[in-house]
Amino acid sequence: MRSAQAKTQAHMEQTRALAAAIRMKRFAAKLWLGIREWCGDSAYERYVQAQRTNPEESCLLTPAEFYVERVNRRYSRPNRCC
Amino acid sequence: MKRPISIVVWIVVAFVGAGALGGIAFHRGEPLNATWFVVAAACSYLVAYRFYSAFIAARLLALDDSRATPSERHDDGRDFVPTNKWILFGHHFAAIAGPGPLVGPTLAAQFGYLPGTLWLIAGAVFAGCVQDCIILFCSIRRDGKTLGEIAREEVSQRGGFIAQLAVLAIMVILLGVVALVIVNALKSSPWATFTLAATIPIALLLGLYLRFLRPGRVLEASFIGVALVLFVVVAGQWVADSPSWAHFFTLSGVTLAFALIAYGFAASALPVWLLLAPRDYLSAFIKAGAIFSLAAGILLVRPQVLMPPLTRFIDGTGPVFAGKIFPFCFITIACGAISGFHSLISSGTTPKMIIRESHARFIGYGAMLMESFVGVMAMVAACAMTPGVYFAINSPASIVGATSDAAAATISSWGYPLQAQTMTDLARAVGEQTLLNRAGGAPSLAIGMAQIFSSTIGGPRLLSIWYHFAIMFEALFILTVLDAGTRVGRFMVQELGGRVWKPFARTGWWPGILLSSAMIVGAWGYFLYQGVVDPLGGINSLWPLFGISNQLLAAVALVVATTILLKMKRLRWIWLTLIPMAWLVIITMTASYRKIFDPNPRLGFLSYAKALAAQIAAGKIPAAKIADTQRVIFNQRLDAAVTAVLAAMIIVLIIEALMQWYRILSGNPKSVLHETPYFATRWTEDFSGASYPGPTAEPEAPAMEG
Repeated sequence: MRSAQAKTQAHMEQTRALAAAIRMKRFAAKLWLGIREWCGDSAYERYVQAQRTNPEESCLLTPAEFYVERVNRRYSRPNRCC
Repeated sequence: MKRPISIVVWIVVAFVGAGALGGIAFHRGEPLNATWFVVAAACSYLVAYRFYSAFIAARLLALDDSRATPSERHDDGRDFVPTNKWILFGHHFAAIAGPGPLVGPTLAAQFGYLPGTLWLIAGAVFAGCVQDCIILFCSIRRDGKTLGEIAREEVSQRGGFIAQLAVLAIMVILLGVVALVIVNALKSSPWATFTLAATIPIALLLGLYLRFLRPGRVLEASFIGVALVLFVVVAGQWVADSPSWAHFFTLSGVTLAFALIAYGFAASALPVWLLLAPRDYLSAFIKAGAIFSLAAGILLVRPQVLMPPLTRFIDGTGPVFAGKIFPFCFITIACGAISGFHSLISSGTTPKMIIRESHARFIGYGAMLMESFVGVMAMVAACAMTPGVYFAINSPASIVGATSDAAAATISSWGYPLQAQTMTDLARAVGEQTLLNRAGGAPSLAIGMAQIFSSTIGGPRLLSIWYHFAIMFEALFILTVLDAGTRVGRFMVQELGGRVWKPFARTGWWPGILLSSAMIVGAWGYFLYQGVVDPLGGINSLWPLFGISNQLLAAVALVVATTILLKMKRLRWIWLTLIPMAWLVIITMTASYRKIFDPNPRLGFLSYAKALAAQIAAGKIPAAKIADTQRVIFNQRLDAAVTAVLAAMIIVLIIEALMQWYRILSGNPKSVLHETPYFATRWTEDFSGASYPGPTAEPEAPAMEG
């Protein structure tokens, strides 16, 4: 009786630990995605996605073309302040 | 949180904040601990964000989440990119936070810690955050238009033109003065000069990597770059220790000024991907890291604040810059309390990425609170060193003398005891030849940061590494402003020039690029050179000029905001923008008047020019120096003219605005609001994980012409 109870408790603890690990992993993944988006790492993926849902050009730019175009636009208006 | 608990918590936060504010305001005697500042600032910001910004969002602006934002309507994956509110907060904060909130409070510490700290907190809560948030809102409702375009539509044609000119003027003065801050930090310092110079080839390397090797892989490139930059910070020590290399990197102020001018020209004319963009990535990561470490360091070390709450220099005789506490404390601390430049980021860039109107509160108001917090930390770092050391680093040689002995004697006679040996020892401990006469805020902030960091990690042995890390961080920061600003300035010059002669506006035309780059670099380079050769140290005349122009731009932004609110029939709450606007106009007008006409030669441009002319006439200037002195006289008159033009611009704008307000209030049908028509959002969630109930409000008929 007692050992069954202990078993259930151990099992519960294991499940809780697993759930916590999953939550941590999700959080870390979210953080990583956030950092990638913040620094512009995922800009090309976003562009491809936007072009797929709402095509404006006949052919997609390559990553290198897109990168050059992106930085050209970005640094043509005030984007760094005092 | 349940309502009663929430009420109790907010009452506690408000009382703790008020107690801490009262503590720093009325404390006398023993040095105060930095924790008081952190608690006072944090509680004030929390209360302001929870209540004041909520009030602005709900009652003044009536932010409407059922309305589609520009990022939804124009999503193109380029400019208009729907962005999660936390990430956009990071973007916006990285864009608005520059060297201003670090340098301004450090300079204003000459009045003591109290005036600057109170202005940082109150200015941000009641003026700076309000400006950022409202301009962001106005731009969201106008498809991300810029401040100049909004001013043209809502105030008047001339108002828009003035706003554009003001932006260009402030840009030129800003670039000149921040370049001067770098020069003062790097002159005769081989370690710091080598470190900063080495960041340029590192950036070129990253540029090639990002363009050819792994296009657009910003994160991995930045990791490599940051590791290399940290390495060159350490390697600088070896350069400083080697006599031949040290000699090569020991540069005078004038040489450094020309090097920076050449760098600015190159960064503006070369392709962006080669130099400008990769350097900006580097600086963004290092900026984020350094600001977090400073906050963590202050919380861990909890240093004592040794500066008194008020110094004797509130009477205007301060050595760092001349001028009484009113208005010069409010001019010196521009960024961190209110900065007109932010309205350029809040209009144009951020509004094109925002997902929901309600995020304007978190991003516009919240990011500015965070910048204000950076300013408070800079104030703590500057005030945590002995006042004598602070004044020795920040005062020009013409006031305290060029040697340690002379400086120690002068500063001790002011009542801030200082031994000559202290300065020599400190310079040796941080690996510099001298720390005297380094006005500009960067070196004293670096000393403050290094002392805080080294008491956490490494002890006194690592003091020199931390000092040069802090100098590198500030200089990198400033170079980013310098090259990005030069390029944007170049586009403005090309746009204005294009009105006179069409081909000039073509952005791909090489003669146009070179000429406009040379014009903008020449303009700020002139201010830089003038500051470097100024016998009073340059910062004394240029930093107030920068503060005045930045606050004037803030006044422009608030005039535009007030006009729009009047058109939106928010007459009842109009004082929320009207009072900050009036305050800015009062301080900038008083400061402009003082800077031009004050009879004290250290303060008034014209009286300084007159005093020097009198000296030449009386034959007191040696013949060899007459040409130099005449140049200084010319520069003083030029500064007076620039200040007068800036002041005249704001007067014209206010007259234009008053006429427009009269038309609005008298119900003239010509003054209409130029919002884009209402479109209901089709998004059902807000991209931050929380589900959104979806469009509930019925789309109204577009009330205004678009």
